[in-house]
Amino acid sequence: MTHASASPGLPTSPPQNGPPIVSIRDLQKVFPVPGGQTVALQDANLSIQRGEFISLIGPSGCGKTTLLRLMADLEQPTAGELLIAGRTADQARRERQYGYVFQAPALMEWRTVLKNVLLPLDVMNVPGDRLGRAREMLKLVGLEKFERNYPWQLSGGMQQRVSIARALAFDPPLLFMDEPFGALDEITREHLNLELLRLWRETGKTVIFVTHSIPEAVFLSTRVVVMTARPGRIEGIVEIDLPHPRSDDTREDPRFFTHATEIRELLKKGHA
Amino acid sequence: MEQTVTPSRTVAARPGAALPTAAALLVGVGGLLLVCLILPVPGEGAAPEARAWLAGILALLAVGALGVRGAAQGMSRAAQVAPALLTGLLAVLTAEGLLRAYAVPAGLIPTPTRVLAALWNARTVLLQDTYTTFVLEALLGFLAGTVLGLALALLVVRFRFLERGLLPYAALFSSIPIVALAPVIVKAIGLDWPSKTVVVAVTVLFPVMVGAVRGLQSASPLHLDLMHTYAAAPTRTFLDVRVPTALPFVFGALKVASSLALISAIVAEFFGTNGHGLGFRIQIEVGRFGLDVVWAAIVLASMAGIAFFSLVSAAETRLLPRR
Amino acid sequence: MLEPGPAVTATRPPWLAWLAGLGPMLIVALIAAALYWSLMLAANLGPAARTLASGAELDCRTALACASQLRNPVVPAPAQLAQGFARLSTPVTSPLALPYNVGVTAGETVLGLVLATVTGLGLALLLVASRSFERATLPWLVASQTVPVVAIAPMLAVLLGQYGVQGFLPKAIIAAYIAFFPIAIGMSRGLRSADPLHLDLMRTYHASGAQTFGLLRFPVSLPYLFTALKVSVTAALVGSIVAEISTISFSGLGKMLAENSRASDTVALWVIMGYGALLGVTLVALVNALERWVTPWSRR
Ligand SMILES: Nc1ncnc2c1ncn2[C@@H]1O[C@H](COP(=O)(O)OP(=O)(O)O)[C@@H](O)[C@H]1O
Ligand SMILES: [Mg+2]
Repeated sequence: MTHASASPGLPTSPPQNGPPIVSIRDLQKVFPVPGGQTVALQDANLSIQRGEFISLIGPSGCGKTTLLRLMADLEQPTAGELLIAGRTADQARRERQYGYVFQAPALMEWRTVLKNVLLPLDVMNVPGDRLGRAREMLKLVGLEKFERNYPWQLSGGMQQRVSIARALAFDPPLLFMDEPFGALDEITREHLNLELLRLWRETGKTVIFVTHSIPEAVFLSTRVVVMTARPGRIEGIVEIDLPHPRSDDTREDPRFFTHATEIRELLKKGHA
Repeated sequence: MEQTVTPSRTVAARPGAALPTAAALLVGVGGLLLVCLILPVPGEGAAPEARAWLAGILALLAVGALGVRGAAQGMSRAAQVAPALLTGLLAVLTAEGLLRAYAVPAGLIPTPTRVLAALWNARTVLLQDTYTTFVLEALLGFLAGTVLGLALALLVVRFRFLERGLLPYAALFSSIPIVALAPVIVKAIGLDWPSKTVVVAVTVLFPVMVGAVRGLQSASPLHLDLMHTYAAAPTRTFLDVRVPTALPFVFGALKVASSLALISAIVAEFFGTNGHGLGFRIQIEVGRFGLDVVWAAIVLASMAGIAFFSLVSAAETRLLPRR
Repeated sequence: MLEPGPAVTATRPPWLAWLAGLGPMLIVALIAAALYWSLMLAANLGPAARTLASGAELDCRTALACASQLRNPVVPAPAQLAQGFARLSTPVTSPLALPYNVGVTAGETVLGLVLATVTGLGLALLLVASRSFERATLPWLVASQTVPVVAIAPMLAVLLGQYGVQGFLPKAIIAAYIAFFPIAIGMSRGLRSADPLHLDLMRTYHASGAQTFGLLRFPVSLPYLFTALKVSVTAALVGSIVAEISTISFSGLGKMLAENSRASDTVALWVIMGYGALLGVTLVALVNALERWVTPWSRR
């Protein structure tokens, strides 16, 4: 399933031409609630190329999770069009086009670390050396020593790394990540940010990443999608013009601050 | 299995389904009622042709079940309560019909109508038995066991020594089968009701004690620290922090204990009484094949059990703040 | 970050700490023994005085001395218990001795528990699969939890006997009948308690219903099953003993209880209680061991 985009060259933005891997037109999601309805997402338009690293940023309740769940076919849109790799979200799910990392690690407490990573491979009946593949993924996130441990024996950051390994295990071209580092301390978070970027560069996957941290969004992304609440909609899209591979020096780059300010202004505008 | 993701899919109640549902229920219940009226009481009249009746009764039951299924659709109050009531009704009618169709002798399985009759005819004796078993034995024993269990729990929580010395025995004691305990106590104390009260108290004591200790010890360390920063007196901390956290645990234990109490009372009566009590009645009447009285006693015991449980639940809702 | 292996180094060997922990238990046991001894004397004093007054032949002078030697004590003395234990436990393999009968009851209880688990599981599946079924039957199942099911046991015993079910089986069936409710209720709760996030995860994998059940719902429900089993195991034991009492039985703890209760052999009743307690504790311990084996991930 490894696709051609795993080019050794450094991705620029937009990284590639050709058909978009995600294409969203006038997407809308309305939830019925007792005595009315909540417009979680309205008039969303977005096109994402293969190999991009996209961050969705915005205040709580602006529909970031909803947008991600719509793309993952975990919710059905009430209006609009949504195509993943040229297919409907349902077809894309059936073809196992994406891995999903939740805000909580959501590891199965009755499975060891290794067996948690094996889960998707077993469910999908992936041919070949599954055990070897799962071990390789654990190594990728630096947890190969813990394969026999149960999740509760790991710290929160380690658990989240296992859940990333689990999402990567079946080598999906797309990775959806919903505030995966939201509950972690700053130091662990910055460390995992670097690891995530390394993974992204090495595998050439497309990542769609939800966060509500402006520095995190700027540091990671090729483009940042700024969203605002009530009703949830896309306020603007900021292209991040920073060189790859990124490192701690990136945070000192003047452009880093320019982009951060740009995003902050957009967020404020939506708040007014 | 995937349905769980979108619960909205299951909500839709078809409005047009009310008529067939009502019809199915009418046919099921009415038909079974008719069958029960037509068929003779077992032992009277000519034995009916069982096979044909069986087919008929099962068919009517199936129709009734379809009706129940229809009545269970939707989220209304009626849809949540009616199915259980209708199922009870259908079950009783089916039992009556089948017992009549097969002319099962009353000495083997009495028909529901016979049980009702026995309930009425033997009402004075049965009510006396219920009073003995429920009030004198189960309720008194439950109260005594609860008071004792709570007192022991307080001691255990207060003195670490007792926690390590006494608590392990409590867990041990609660796995002794009541049936093995009862004869010993009945022999030691005598045949009158107090011996059964003691059996009940002993069986109730240990679960209540274990539950209360667990509850008292589960107070949040943060809350305890908070009270400490207030320089609160130990009694205040106890009343304001430990007791509220312990109450849900205590009531959990009390609910278990309430059904345990009735079971112990009945089982203890199997090992000797002065001629009163539901357990005694059941044993005596089983020996005489007076199964209609046995069933009547079971019905009363069940009602006592449900009443007991409801009593504890009512106390719980009064004392526990609902989330 | 956490490294595997013990983080704290023990200051003294664990077996020593364990032994020291037994101290309070031992002291409480000694106090209980002293209390028991005085209770025994107090309870037996009256009958002892009466026996002495009636001029029966006893090799003791005072009521106090006789209190621990009564033929049929209200509360037996430790020496009498020891004698009774020896008398009832030997020969070990004899069908008249207690070890054999405990084995019979244990067998019935375990068989009953297996039947109860199978029935309870089936019922739980039905409850989870169909909301109509749940609404129609769940209130009755819950109500039956509060009903003293042992009350039905004697009648059930007679009924099963009438239909020719005999020997080992009726007792196991009655034990199962008493034990399956907690399992059904516990499992139906367990099968429903999968984490919504995990359900979403299985959906993103496009997992089949069977896979979601086998990999998610079933393992999640196992702790619930064991909680229910711990309740059921004592219930089943009571059930099989009551069943033995209520039917014409030739072996089992219940038969020994009924026999000695009729014969007013107090010492025997106490010894049987001891065996019953031992059986109860053993069965619960077995369930606990099974739980640790089946759910190694739980953090105890
Ligand atoms: N299942 C649901 N039912 C009703 N309202 C929902 C549901 N899921 C989300 N919402 C509402 O939709 C809005 C957007 O939610 P969400 O996408 O979770 O926001 P975010 O992830 O950006 O914090 C919120 O107002 C939320 O209350
Ligand atoms: Mg969210």
